[in-house]
Parts: sequence; C-alpha cells; structure tokens
Amino acid sequence: MQATELLNNYFVDNLTWDEMYADQSVRDQYSRVVNFLQNLSTEELNKKEEQARRLFMSQGITFTVYSSGEGIEKIFPFDIIPRIITAKEWSHIEAGIKQRLTALNLFLKDVYSNRFIINDGVVPIDMIYSCPHYLREMCNTPVPMDIYVHIAGIDLIRNNDGSFYILEDNLRTPSGVSYMLENREITKRIFPDLLPANNVRSVMEYPTILHRNLLAMSPRQIAHPTIVVLTPGIYNSAYFEHTTLARMMGVELVQGRDLVVDNHKVYMKTTTGLTQVDVIYRRVDDEFLDPLVFNANSMLGVSGLMSAYRMGNVAIVNAPGNGVADDKAIYAFVPAMIRYYLNEEPILKNVPTYQLRNAEQREYVFDNISTMVIKKTNESGGYGMLMGHVAKDEEISVYKEEVMKDPRQFIAQPIISLSSAPCYMGGKLQPRRVDLRPYALNGPGGIEIVPGGLTRVALREGSLVVNSSQGGGSKDTWVLSV
Amino acid sequence: MLSRVADSLYWTSRYMERTDGILRMLKINYASSQDDINEFSWKPVLRIFSYLEEEEANKLAYESRAALKYLVTSRENPNSVYNIVTRARENARSVQDHITKELWQCLNDFYHTVRDEQLVNLLDREDPVTVLDGLIKQGLLYYGTIDITMARGEGYAFINIGKFIERATQSADILDVKFSNLNYDISTTDTIYWKYLLLSISGYELYLKTYRSGFEAKNVVELIVLNRDFPRSIVYSINQLQRYFERLRGERMADSYQQIEFMIGRLKSKVHYSTVETIMSHGLHKYLNEIKAELHGIGIALNQNYFAYT
Repeated sequence: MQATELLNNYFVDNLTWDEMYADQSVRDQYSRVVNFLQNLSTEELNKKEEQARRLFMSQGITFTVYSSGEGIEKIFPFDIIPRIITAKEWSHIEAGIKQRLTALNLFLKDVYSNRFIINDGVVPIDMIYSCPHYLREMCNTPVPMDIYVHIAGIDLIRNNDGSFYILEDNLRTPSGVSYMLENREITKRIFPDLLPANNVRSVMEYPTILHRNLLAMSPRQIAHPTIVVLTPGIYNSAYFEHTTLARMMGVELVQGRDLVVDNHKVYMKTTTGLTQVDVIYRRVDDEFLDPLVFNANSMLGVSGLMSAYRMGNVAIVNAPGNGVADDKAIYAFVPAMIRYYLNEEPILKNVPTYQLRNAEQREYVFDNISTMVIKKTNESGGYGMLMGHVAKDEEISVYKEEVMKDPRQFIAQPIISLSSAPCYMGGKLQPRRVDLRPYALNGPGGIEIVPGGLTRVALREGSLVVNSSQGGGSKDTWVLSV
Repeated sequence: MLSRVADSLYWTSRYMERTDGILRMLKINYASSQDDINEFSWKPVLRIFSYLEEEEANKLAYESRAALKYLVTSRENPNSVYNIVTRARENARSVQDHITKELWQCLNDFYHTVRDEQLVNLLDREDPVTVLDGLIKQGLLYYGTIDITMARGEGYAFINIGKFIERATQSADILDVKFSNLNYDISTTDTIYWKYLLLSISGYELYLKTYRSGFEAKNVVELIVLNRDFPRSIVYSINQLQRYFERLRGERMADSYQQIEFMIGRLKSKVHYSTVETIMSHGLHKYLNEIKAELHGIGIALNQNYFAYT
C-alpha cells in the first residue's frame, strides 16, 4: 500500500479545529511534512515508529510498573508526526504567557504579604484561605528577588474557532519538559533533514537558561554555588526527567536522605564530608518538603529545610505555596488579576468557569450537566473529573453528592472541543485531540519561553483527556521561525 | 560526590564484575561438560555462584540446561545473571547523572537483553555457548564504555575499587572450591581439570607461556594468587585496588582514608610476601579464607567511611 492513501481516511468534523487540515486542504505549515510523508511507504513509516520505540527503550526513557514482584518497563506513547505551530501563533502564545505569568507572580507576592488584591475586593478572601495549597508558613517569608514561579508549564487548548485558551496554570512542579527535549532528539533520528528544511526553532537552550536562572538564585555570592535537583527517587514516574535535567545542567541529583540541615543551613552528605547547598530545584511537592513543618510522615523531604529557607540560607525553586495561584477555582480570577496588577487586557482567553460554591452557578451547572466538565480544584493528572457528556446517570448523582459535601473544591467548565492533529495509527493518519504545554522560565532577566513545548495527545478516538496517566501520548512540537 | 552515589557506583561495578565472572565460568564449564568421560557435575559452580542447599544442588548437578537456566535466567536465584544485571542497572539508574549517557544505555541494553523471554528458549534449545558468548560481549561493551567515556574522577575510582574487590574475592572463591573438590590434594595430575579451570578465568594461555612442564596444582595456585601480570590474579587485583583507592586521598576525611589505606596495605604485603610454598604450608584453604575475610573487612570499612548516609 502506498502512503498516498495516508490522507484518504482523514476525517475531521466541522466542530473541531484541525491543526493540519482546513477546508479539505492541508495548511501551509504542514505542506512540507505531508509531502515528505507521502513519499514514504507504510513499511518505512512503521519502521520509523519501531525505531522511535527502540530509542526510547534503549535510553531508558521509561517508567516502571510494578506487578507480581517484577518491574515492567513502559514507554510513554510517542506519535511520530510532529505538531506544528506557526511563527505568528507562537508570538501570540508567547506574549500571552508572559503577561499571565507576570500577573500570577505578582499575585503570589501579594497574597503572601500585603494582600492588596483581597482588600480591594478583586479576589474574595475565603477563596484564598480555603485553598489547601495556601501555606501560612509562606506569609511574609522573603522570597529571593520576589520570584515565586521560576518554572511554569501553562496548558493551552484550541477551541473550534482556532483561538487558544488557557486550560490551567501549573506553577508548582510542572513536569514533561524532558519529553519536549527527548521527543526532538527522536525526530532528528527518525526524520533526518526534516527539521532544518522546515525552519524549526531549536529547544536546546532550555537547560542552559534554567541553569543560569538557578545560579542567579544563590543566596551566597560565591563563584560556584552548589545547585541540586531534589527528586523523590527512582520510583517516581518522572524520575527520568529529574536525571535528564541534572545531567544537562551538570548539577547534583539528590534525594531527601542525601541532605541534612545544621544551624539553618542545608548540606549534602558526600564522600568528603558535608557540602553546603545553595539552590534546590525541588521536584518534591510542598507537602513532603519538610516533615517538621508539613507532612510529618514524609521520607522524601529534609527536616529543617523550611527554617533554612526562611533564614535566607537556601533558595527553593519553585517557591513553596504556589499552589494557591494555580488552584482551579482561583483560575477564574486570573483575567481580573491581569487587569488589576498590569492594567492590561488578557491576551490569552480563559475557559468560562463556574464556581460550585456559588449556589446560582451550581444550579446552572447541574441543569446543564451534559455540556459540562466538573473538576476538583486541587487534583491534577486528569483525576477526579466528571465529563458530563459521557457520564452515566448514577455517576452523575454520586458525583453531585460529592460536590455538595464541599462545593468550594469543585469548579465546572463547558466542555471545550480540543483541536485535533494528525497521528500515525494503523498505517494511516488519523485526527486525535491535542493540547499544548510550553515551558516558561522566570529569572532575574525576565520571562523566557523556549520555542516549543509538550503536545499531549489523547490516543483514543474521540477522547478529550490527554493526561499521560489516562492513556495520553505525546508529540514533538515544532515552532517555525518563519 | 554524594555518599549514596559512591555507594551505587561501587555496587554497580561489583555486580557487573560478578556477571562477567559467572558468564565465563558457565561457558567453560559447559564446554567441559561436553568433553567429560565421567559424568560432569555442576555442583562446584553451583557452590560458588548460588546459595542452594545440598539437596537442591544435587537435583541440578547433572542437568546442564537446567543448571544454566538457574544461573542465568532464573528469577528465584538471587545471584542469577538476570537478578545481578537488574540490580546493577537499578543502581546505575539512581546515579544516571554521574555515569555517561553511553554507559547508562549500555547497562540498560544489557538489562533488556537478559529480560528478553527469548533467552530462556535459546538456553533450552540452541547452543548455550553462542548464547553465553553474546552476553559476555555485552559485558565487554560495558568495560570498554567505562574506559572510553568515563571521566577519571572520584566516580571512576569507586567503580574500579568495586571491580577489583569483587574480582579478588571471586578468584579466591574459585580456587578454593576447585581445590576443595580434590580435598586440597595437590598431587592430582588430571590435566583436563586444570585446563578448564584456567580457561574459565582466561588464564590458560598465560599458564602455557609461564610453565613449560605440564599441569601442576602448585603452578595453578601460583598463577592465580601471585602472578602480577595476570589480570585475574589476586595480587594483581589487590595492586589495582590500592592504586584506585589512593586516588581518594584528600585534605578532608584523612582519618577514614588512613584506616582503609592501612587495611589495603596490610593485605597487599601479605600477598606480596607469600610464595607458593609458604601458602601451601600455611594451608591453602586457610590462606584463601584469610584473604577473603580481609577483602570483606575493606568492603565494610568503605561502607562505614565513604558510603554511610543514613
């Protein structure tokens, strides 16, 4: 079978924006890639798919599922067809994320110090204090250079009119950036010459910028501050990412048990004694950071870490307590924050959000539940969601009861139809729903966004859930320079 | 370097050295089993490389394929190649940022090879030597990758310390078990017995070049314990151990360093100032046990002084 049949079965309904197809023709940005693919036979494409799988396996870009005492190595599904973003689209996204992140960072500074935004009635006070991720321990704690969010992974989706919407702000420990980097490496191997021919911008700068920003956070003004990446350990599903980042920056990868606090300073235990640590890029959640302050049972953190932080002897990246700003209920107030702090109109739109704590809005949502998705405000990874259009009646009534117990913990949004992008499946191209997570780095020099990101894809036909924990995969994401 | 990292590098290296030892041993013993007029027994090998009870070992003793599978692919045998490579790789995985990407991929590929279910079938039906050779080559790739890609820093020193402690222990073990089979009777002139022992530790050719008078137990002991040019000899391993340990000398932790330096120095002198005659009069079994005990003590001291992090 020749691959000219690749596109014959590509069917997109009118209600979905497709990244490749518009009015029965291929969009400009995809034309080179489609031409290239059409010259390949199905066997060749299958071979490339297999080659990609092998590369992931051999490099150990895997996560281990433990069952019956034996680990099974799995790779996150990777689709070989790149997702392409034009230069124009990118400059819009870039401006929008910079604006949003600036406002969110100001918001964090504000809620943990003067609380102007609360006193001025822009964000209701109970929204803040009822958020489980709001940390009283962070109130009036000085944060180096007032940077709370050093690394953000803000999720975007595209509605059927083609415009981008913010789906959620991940300001705690956003993951997936290693897939942005590795997916690109795989593309270089399986499609030689295709990247330069398409003027694709490089994503290689990411670890360099991150390293530079981390160095700038050091409280001690010394020539070679010690920077570490703090990982929960090899059983964490993002462990590969932690090693990749440590390796690419040439810094130490540590676990909680490698660190010790003495006299409000953090040290790591080395073969030549203790070495003081200046900056911790932590991939451990707030709750587990310090058993003396947060979860007392945590084995992943370091006793006394928060006191060292408050004394200004160590920098923690991202700052603890950021969860109050990426809470799904606070999300609804971000456009108001942008107007309040920056006196600007938001560049990127929010998805309309209903607060279930508000009786009127709750009633509206329950009446229109088949067009809604209800989410828990403090869950991520696609857990605890109710998709109204597919849920059974019993599921809905059980979920409603759950909501009534604590309505603050739930929000609802109209179901947004994610845009689709071509995936290579079963010997042909098929449309699957995608989102986009660019990674923004915030340092003393301002906010920088590496041109690219992680495109997550819902591999099941018709599915709108792209989370890797729910059977999602990923794609290489190209940002074109012209 | 983090203590935990040093610990993991050391153990990765010990496990890989053990893997190489087991595989070579199995290859030669299998060849020997095809060449034996009397029925060949796997018991000595099982004694060196597994923790089987007498009774269980007896069951496998005359079943080459079953013994091979137990020692290579068995999930139950904690010392099978499968389990050791898995542990080496788990250790390497936790220190990925301290070994080169090439080395990690090499270990990861080895791991996927021993996990391949095909391996059991091959050991069952195909020529085991081909299968074992394939695995030995993966191991050689590991040694070469370290040599060519790893920086000569502290990590490299710990890798080599682990490697040579393991190798010296293994050579002592092999020699001890092979002689205990003969009840330490050195008058044996069974040429084939010594030939296969030497082949299994790649010492056959060197033996031929060193001794012109055929196979004698005394010379075998001399080669394996005292020959400074033989890379699997005990003396060679201890010299290398000392050489790499000296690279850890530094301003800090002077006490720890001196304690272990003393232990290695003492062991080195013990071997350097032995002759095959003094070993034999001392009692070979006793001598080898003392060496093993000292190596074990060095391992414990390293653990206390350099790897302790809890």
